[in-house]
Amino acid sequence: MKRLPGALRQGLIRCHDCGALAKQETVPHPCPVCGSPLQARIPDSLTRTMAFLLSGYALYVPANLFPIMTVTRFGVGEPHTILGGILALIDGEMLPIAILVFIASILVPLLKLLGLTLLWLCVFYRWQVNARRWTLMYRMIAFVGRWSMLDIFMISILISLVDLGGVAQVLAGPAATAFAAVVVITLFAAKSFDPRLIWDHQTHDERRIRLRNPRRLAE
Amino acid sequence: MRARPKLQLEACPECDALLRPAALVDGDKAHCPRCGFLLQRAQKNSIERSLALSVAGLLLFVPANCLPLVGIKFLGNAKDGILLSGVAALYGEGMWAVATLVFLSSMLFPLVNILLSLAISLHLYLNRPNRYLRHWMRWLQHLDEWAMLEVYTLGIIVACVKLSSMADLHFGLGLYAFVGLLLVTVALAASLDRTLFWQRIDALRRKPA
Ligand SMILES: [Zn+2]
Ligand SMILES: [Zn+2]
Repeated sequence: MKRLPGALRQGLIRCHDCGALAKQETVPHPCPVCGSPLQARIPDSLTRTMAFLLSGYALYVPANLFPIMTVTRFGVGEPHTILGGILALIDGEMLPIAILVFIASILVPLLKLLGLTLLWLCVFYRWQVNARRWTLMYRMIAFVGRWSMLDIFMISILISLVDLGGVAQVLAGPAATAFAAVVVITLFAAKSFDPRLIWDHQTHDERRIRLRNPRRLAE
Repeated sequence: MRARPKLQLEACPECDALLRPAALVDGDKAHCPRCGFLLQRAQKNSIERSLALSVAGLLLFVPANCLPLVGIKFLGNAKDGILLSGVAALYGEGMWAVATLVFLSSMLFPLVNILLSLAISLHLYLNRPNRYLRHWMRWLQHLDEWAMLEVYTLGIIVACVKLSSMADLHFGLGLYAFVGLLLVTVALAASLDRTLFWQRIDALRRKPA
């Protein structure tokens, strides 16, 4: 009988915090090495991920519709949305920075929400996919998420420096809170998704394993 | 199949493949053969390096937070900004949630990370058991992804480019300390071999007092 090499199918559970393996029978007890509760998979991974995703989508709208900051010069206020700020950068002939801000503030949060939704659908409907590629997608989503904080940090620096009363002033707008919430919520969404669930539903898994004996490759 | 004790096996955190660890030489990278996840990066003198880098990070943290990062001159008005002034400005405008997030990810979590790395690597270096070691290590792993110094640095660069067209900018000493702190924390994250640290923590715990 062919057996898939997943640790759980062999009755072993990997501790989420320290990586130690424990027998499934010991489950009500905490991990003997680090003391954290042992769980084979992140509990309620799909439900939690979807809850974070839905709130992420809901907040993405106000984050892009409302002004994220207001630039006042000589008493004339000029509210900027995220997109407006990028257009102002293009007008100021700062195209590379404009592209950077566009990627970090608009593209990354949106692709992150869409990508996690796809991963969620993949697990929920048990799609037969190239699990290796989909895990790579998850890994990239988890890695790029933090860079969306760029806009928030930039605004905090701008409003502290440009504070010259009526001459020039930058104020944060209501979209800043919504955008920060989108970033944090998508980080939590990525954290609560368990990529091992993609592998659990693959039926033709063994064909992709190149090594007969499970062992670690050292490069 | 050869019979091996189960404890010698390990599982990939991203695809749950059951793996048999190979002995790593310093500098080796171990990837999961099933999904490609980077399992471990063996470092030369991981504990000593982590200890030295966390001390350096702690020393740089003070000037990076107290000295001005960037100064601005605009129509005869001059203003210097330190790390905390961005947080204070956000808080002053009533944006307490965003202010808290910026404070945590650019100041508190990087500091806690450095302090935890210092405490853990010092105990491992001196071979001193401590019943809080495993909790510190868990906190360190969970807080790691919320410390965002590298993103903050990019934020400084973008803000400076935006301001450069309308005002004179000058860089303060704090900025150099901040960039140094960033480099130290990146090197610290790379040199801290988590697999090795957990092994050593577990071995210390089993050691008779
Ligand atoms: Zn554990
Ligand atoms: Zn794997």
